[in-house]
Amino acid sequence: MAARVVTVDRRSLRARGGAFGARAFAKGLSVTWKHFSRNLMGWVRGKPTVATVMFPEEDVVKPAAFRGMPVLVQMDDGKERCVACGLCEWACPVDCISIDPAETPDPIERHPLRFDIDMGRCMFCGLCEEACPEEAIVMSDRVEISAFSRGGIVWNKEDLLVPQDQLARRLDWIRRSYER
Amino acid sequence: MTERDGFKKPVKVVIDGREIVAEAGEMLLQVALDNGVEIPHYCYHPKLSIDGSCRMCQVKIEKAPKLAISCNTPVADGMVVDTKAGEVVEARKAVMELLLLNHPLDCPICDQAGECYLQDYSFGHGRSEARTTSPRRKGVKRHPIGPRVVFDQERCILCRRCVRFTHEISKTDELRVFGAGDRSRIATSQDRPLDNPYSINVADVCPVGALLSADFHHKRRVWFLEETETVCPTCSNGCNVKIGAFRNRIERLVPRRNDEVNDTWMCDHGRLNYAFVQDETRLREPAIAGREAREPVPVAGPIDYTRDSDGREVRASGPSVDEAIAAAAASLRAAVATYGATSVAVVLTPTLTNEETLLLARLVREELKTPHFALAVPLGLSDDFLIKPEKVANARGARDLGVGPGDGGKDLAGILAACASGEIKVLWVVGSDGLVAAAGLDAVEPAVANLEALLLQDTNRSALTDRATVLVPGCTWAEKDGSMTNHAGRVQRIRPALRPPTGLVADGEIFARMASALRGEAGAPFEPRVAFAEVAKAVPSYVGLEWARLGSRGLAAGQGA
Repeated sequence: MAARVVTVDRRSLRARGGAFGARAFAKGLSVTWKHFSRNLMGWVRGKPTVATVMFPEEDVVKPAAFRGMPVLVQMDDGKERCVACGLCEWACPVDCISIDPAETPDPIERHPLRFDIDMGRCMFCGLCEEACPEEAIVMSDRVEISAFSRGGIVWNKEDLLVPQDQLARRLDWIRRSYER
Repeated sequence: MTERDGFKKPVKVVIDGREIVAEAGEMLLQVALDNGVEIPHYCYHPKLSIDGSCRMCQVKIEKAPKLAISCNTPVADGMVVDTKAGEVVEARKAVMELLLLNHPLDCPICDQAGECYLQDYSFGHGRSEARTTSPRRKGVKRHPIGPRVVFDQERCILCRRCVRFTHEISKTDELRVFGAGDRSRIATSQDRPLDNPYSINVADVCPVGALLSADFHHKRRVWFLEETETVCPTCSNGCNVKIGAFRNRIERLVPRRNDEVNDTWMCDHGRLNYAFVQDETRLREPAIAGREAREPVPVAGPIDYTRDSDGREVRASGPSVDEAIAAAAASLRAAVATYGATSVAVVLTPTLTNEETLLLARLVREELKTPHFALAVPLGLSDDFLIKPEKVANARGARDLGVGPGDGGKDLAGILAACASGEIKVLWVVGSDGLVAAAGLDAVEPAVANLEALLLQDTNRSALTDRATVLVPGCTWAEKDGSMTNHAGRVQRIRPALRPPTGLVADGEIFARMASALRGEAGAPFEPRVAFAEVAKAVPSYVGLEWARLGSRGLAAGQGA
């Protein structure tokens, strides 16, 4: 392919921009001023009109398709839905999931004795959720991982369990996406 | 290969356009498998009689009126076989659909998943969706059919491999097919448990997840296991096995095929005898009497320095392996200098590899120069199949290498008596379990009570551990590289499946360092490959055996030429 050469006339560009880039400067300030006045008016009226959220005191409602930290679905009897089949562990591209399966006397005879996710390693790709045959691991809307120690960012089974009614939106979204 | 009675007429068959020369009387399926043509099959097993119940191995044979099951069709001259014809594909699809009609599809919790014929053939030959809408047949699940085997009736495809195993191999006849047609099921006669010394083999022959090892039940997905080809250490038969390990722990042992040793079987005792490698009786720290034991380092915090990457405690400030070896060498040298070479004795339990045994034998003859050198071989029950009376892996190898009393030397009982009478001052025990089992604790107790020093090299805690003056922990078979000789003189490789506990070295390396310490000059480190060349020179019947040629199935002594 032949190279296409564009000659830029810098002198005329500078002329259009005004002395010392005054035009761009004014434009930038106008954006700042616009948002400032909108924010101010909203505050005066008591109805914020800007998207800025006072995190972490406030939180946004994320869409159902949002992929936050993976969590385990807790059934109504308090037990995990996970049967420790290990498919998420196998699917995980960064090997952040560690499961030790064990037998239980329950009718669902298998469960994870240990289920750890190293959130420092997790890249929120959602492949674990996709691999799961039991809808037992889903991507939640949680994003806060920070902890005071390295051990703190490894979430174990008790940390990961979330009651299934809190995850209803995501579970519903998964089912709909499979139907498509 | 099964043993053949003499020469059989060669016949030419054409399978998928390839001309193959086989022997008359061989079955078509086996000929195809031997020549790399894959024909799916469930009920056929090379070491069991032919059943023909699964119908999966049907192939098209020219001039035959209909499809034939290749497992029970002897090859004939001029036979033209098509394994990929349209009818064959259709037939396989129909068989798969029938077998999966009542299958519970609980692969996520089934231990067979990953090595399941149903899964593999379903991908290769089945249809992706079920057409049936009627409910699937219910059966007993998680039924302890024997003390070491779990049975799941819903998953069973009635191939009768297990029935044939208990009839032909274990000869105990526990399992049978009861009922007929749709109500057929595998069960034990009169609910007698499936309890024989080879019972877990039915879990291996089971092509699906119907019969499972209770020990491995819900333990680990098979695709996470790192498999290492090695040899079972439990008796002198040397059954070929695979270690399945995960995160530096043994999860299971399974037999692998070696027609010269164990066909495809192994005994339950050997299969379940691996806990000693990783349980709390394992010795992980050297010890010298009178010196403080190692204490855990009190460092905790974001990074836990008290544990290594395997979660084991890291300790400091106690004696290292090298210090323990130096202490042992010092007490040996002192005894030889004060009382003469005959005041020292060495007792070996032959769990070591040939290479390590050679180093020890050399050390005893050339450095210690004591004639008191005995083997302690624990004996136990045996049968006429796989289980041998000598309950250690390498007794034959140790004898081949000349381990035994030298001129004027004492045997095991003599050494223990001489220890008790004070004639022998320093006893070096390599592997105490064999000593205690072979001589009995009643003979060992008074012997070690009267010693000046008991030097103990061992892998697991025993009655002698706390009596040791110097304790040097060694490695188990699962952590070592080397060769072992089975009762029939077959030299087979063992391979390291695990990393040894932090800081520990193989017994061969201990001997090499001990020899250096006794000589007072540094010697070469232990290298199994190099040492094997010397083993092959040292034993007349091993001459010509090469490390690289041992392969995965080993060589019989005398096959070197």
